[in-house]
Amino acid sequence: MKSFLKFFGKFIGFAAVVYGILFAVFYWDLDGKFMYYIWEPMMIKRFDNMKRADNTTIPYFQKEAVAPSEYTEIL
Amino acid sequence: MKDLVHIFELEDLLQEANNELIRKAKKDGKRVLGYTCYFMPEVLLDLPGCVSCRLRAPRSSSPDMATYYMSNRTCMYGRCLLERALEGGFNFLDAQMATETCTVTCRFQEHLQLMDIIQNPDFFCEFTDVPFKKNDNSIDHFETQLQAHVLDKLNEKFGIDTSDEALLTAIKEHNEVCRLVNEIGSYRRLDEPTITGTEFSIIMLSTLVCPKYLIIDKLKDIAEQLKTRKPDEKKTYRCKVVLSGSEEDDPNFIKLIEECGALVVADRHCYGSIPGREEIVVKEGEKPLHAIARHYLETSQCPRFMDQHIMRDRKQFLADVVKEYKADGLIISQMKFCEYWSYERTIDTLIFPRDFGIPVCSIEKEYVNNAVGQLRTRFQAFVESIELKNIQNSKNNSDKEVTA
Amino acid sequence: MKLKDVKAKYRELFVVEKAPEEKNKPKDLKKAARDFWYGKPHEERRLGDLYVGDTGLYKHREWRGFMDTMYYFNMIWLYNYAHMVGDIVKYGDGPEGIVDFFKGTMRYRWMGQTYLTVMHWFDRGMEGMRGEAMKASAWHYRGMVSETIRQFQEMFIADKKMHGGKEGKNWSKNIAHNETVGGSFFYPFRGQLEDIPLEMIPYFVSVHVNSHTVLNYIDAAQSIGLPSDPCPMCQAEYGLFVHDDYPDFAPAMITTNEACDGSVATSVLQDWFLNRPLYALPQPMRYDDPLVQKNHQKEIENAWKFIEETYGVKFNWEEYKKTAESFNKLTEFEWEKWDVAANTPYYPISGVAQALYRIYYSQDGDRPIWHEMDEHVKRIMNKTVKNKIETFPKTRHRAIAWSCAPLYYSHWCTWAYNCWGINCVINMDSLMFDQYLRTDTYEHALEDLSWMNEKAPMRAMAVGGHEHILSLFNYMERFNCDMVIMYDQLQCKGMQGIHGVFEDEFRKRNIHAIWVPHALPDKRTVSRKEIRQIINDYMTTVMHEEPLDPTLVDFDDDKSW
Repeated sequence: MKSFLKFFGKFIGFAAVVYGILFAVFYWDLDGKFMYYIWEPMMIKRFDNMKRADNTTIPYFQKEAVAPSEYTEIL
Repeated sequence: MKDLVHIFELEDLLQEANNELIRKAKKDGKRVLGYTCYFMPEVLLDLPGCVSCRLRAPRSSSPDMATYYMSNRTCMYGRCLLERALEGGFNFLDAQMATETCTVTCRFQEHLQLMDIIQNPDFFCEFTDVPFKKNDNSIDHFETQLQAHVLDKLNEKFGIDTSDEALLTAIKEHNEVCRLVNEIGSYRRLDEPTITGTEFSIIMLSTLVCPKYLIIDKLKDIAEQLKTRKPDEKKTYRCKVVLSGSEEDDPNFIKLIEECGALVVADRHCYGSIPGREEIVVKEGEKPLHAIARHYLETSQCPRFMDQHIMRDRKQFLADVVKEYKADGLIISQMKFCEYWSYERTIDTLIFPRDFGIPVCSIEKEYVNNAVGQLRTRFQAFVESIELKNIQNSKNNSDKEVTA
Repeated sequence: MKLKDVKAKYRELFVVEKAPEEKNKPKDLKKAARDFWYGKPHEERRLGDLYVGDTGLYKHREWRGFMDTMYYFNMIWLYNYAHMVGDIVKYGDGPEGIVDFFKGTMRYRWMGQTYLTVMHWFDRGMEGMRGEAMKASAWHYRGMVSETIRQFQEMFIADKKMHGGKEGKNWSKNIAHNETVGGSFFYPFRGQLEDIPLEMIPYFVSVHVNSHTVLNYIDAAQSIGLPSDPCPMCQAEYGLFVHDDYPDFAPAMITTNEACDGSVATSVLQDWFLNRPLYALPQPMRYDDPLVQKNHQKEIENAWKFIEETYGVKFNWEEYKKTAESFNKLTEFEWEKWDVAANTPYYPISGVAQALYRIYYSQDGDRPIWHEMDEHVKRIMNKTVKNKIETFPKTRHRAIAWSCAPLYYSHWCTWAYNCWGINCVINMDSLMFDQYLRTDTYEHALEDLSWMNEKAPMRAMAVGGHEHILSLFNYMERFNCDMVIMYDQLQCKGMQGIHGVFEDEFRKRNIHAIWVPHALPDKRTVSRKEIRQIINDYMTTVMHEEPLDPTLVDFDDDKSW
């Protein structure tokens, strides 16, 4: 029982510390600051430098896979 | 080339919406019915007892009052029409047969409904819903709409005969005009065309804004003269182009292009004849109104159509026009703030040179064309680029011949 | 970095300067205790002092009083972060979903740059709010977040681009549609197919959360020659394709003409880039006309046939019935909400939560999350009505917002209430889809489904005749409003085309109307600051009023999300 109480006490203590840290993150807007100053610039850099397909080079007259005509044509 | 008969007279008729022939038709007891879009079948507005008049606002300057109502961020064509209406320039209209086919002209026409603008006690403005597709369902729908919002209204308000017989008569007269315009336009297909784009544009516009029964004889005279008209001995143009794009009702714009050395041989734009002057065919057993509804949906090449294959075929159609009229290039002109054509122009500008090998000059312009200098530079540069391309091609060909 | 610089950075990021008049005041412990427990009274909050420069970040999040701060921390901040993780796993179809989420975050700009900042979206929307209003509005936000996660996870699972060009799981069971095609069209196939709007998450929702991302898509659209004047919403929609930032998650697509010419034209470009079966489901423009209904109903039926043929699935009437009836419950509650909003001061939902939630769920169609959220909100609303709790007690003006809102500043109404006491009770897009779906017969069902979608966002008021857009005055009366916030979307031709008529009507009816220019998703055209300035100018020069919170009158948030 004593060891359980001790464990429980430690758990509560640990949970309280975690809760306190989370509250500090919340209150001081640390999540926002992390996203703004660290995450977003990193992502911008990544996406700006990402190799992308140039979709405008797709030939316009690719005739594959168009909608079944019976719904769209004058019969 | 020798001046075309009646051409100056027709040009004069384009100087104001309420032109001499419209006034004459009114004196003859005809009802004058305004419209703005190809989707309002003009043939129905030319039923016995009435005449159609596709609205223009020639000689417009700054549409200040209309800009108050529609802001300066809308298409100037719509604003100039409203300005002209507010000035009293459309008081001759007995009705406006409206369509909600593009936003700004729709708003213009709604102003005619909402405000007491047209000083004519008989005036009314009636909207017709126009479908976005070309299938059977759309044709049936369009036919119902035309019956309810055009024919029934004309009969109810003005006592116009809207029977099948009357429709067939109107179709016959309409087809006669189309046949003449096509005949006149066919000379643009010649290796050396015997009619200029400016002349054709004047003729074509006249058929849209004047009572047909009053100009048909003039068209016949012109067609007759063209049979024997000879091209200038020395070519007056450096290349041939097709003009495609949004609303264009200013022959001076065509003239500007031609002054830069590009002969406009085909007009695939709103107020143009491709499409616009195809004859209406009534199939056996088909009701005339159904034929009309089918005709206008089938022939239209408006970027408003959304069926997948129609969106794609539209490009092929334009490429075929370029080929048929032996044009060297394509000018795609978009009225500023026209949403449909801003997209269509963008895509056409990308794919025509690449997928069809057709050079494109892509421009954005206002209804009141103040940027003449800039446009002239663009067109001149385009003509030069086509000439260079042709020189390059012929050089390559002769090199090949030598190698062979 | 020198210690001096560290100190300066610390002050910039964390220290809230006291107001000049507060500096020399003796300490009042009683008042401090009261402020700690209840939060500062509205007029003393000085919310503008909390911002870090022009970033929109907070030096510290607002102290709303002990109970509300704890509620916000536990039931909004922590709760949502925890549930987001849960949703990613749940909707990702197991642990693989986490991998897909990570890959999606790294592959798509709209994901990696945007959605992780979501809690700031909550902060902006609920700034200054207290008690039941804060709670109810947050539930609406929670619903939107959950549904967003569901949608992007569905896309990621199937996405070809994220699976080496091969079809991902469920690819053949997904149907893509333009974001303006209503989810209700797909009710007969729910359970057999997953209908996912293609641009809703990559573009539309993302702008609200982080307004930076979309600018890339607009620029991409213009980079291939499109002029800058067409509707920027459509520009952004197809900019996704130019920028190659769309997930490839379905074998076919349904598109529509809703809401304007630009939407129609966008379809052409999308068809080019997608190159797969595309069915156009246009809706009639003159939708009041009884004669147009048959055509639209037939188009809907054709769309169903197209789906059946393309996917080999069957139209399921029972499924339609079940889903439509379920959606009707959402509609019923919406009407209840309107009733409370219109006739009492006890409506607990902020202008921004009302607008976004309504447009999101009604466009998306029936989903379990909306019912769950409505239950929470219903409980809160019953409480505010029963106990006569004035949820926005500093209301000076009841406003109706008309036309389409700036997506990058949909939370302007939170600011307007905090700064000037303008309570935006209702907005135009909330009034869309105002239709009960009958399910007694197939014919009635089709009739109502067609009719409901003809009254979809934007188009219901903007097309089909001037009487629709001018119905503002009826709604103004119905919702007991004394002020109009007239959104002036600079690139919307439909609204620009009737500008002067509104001016005339406002003068004739002696109505206070503030024109708020904006460019939908593009904050560069008219900044948030400029929007605030326009409202400030009106409130001071025309209304001769003093701000409730002077620190909110003039501040810079140009670089904020």
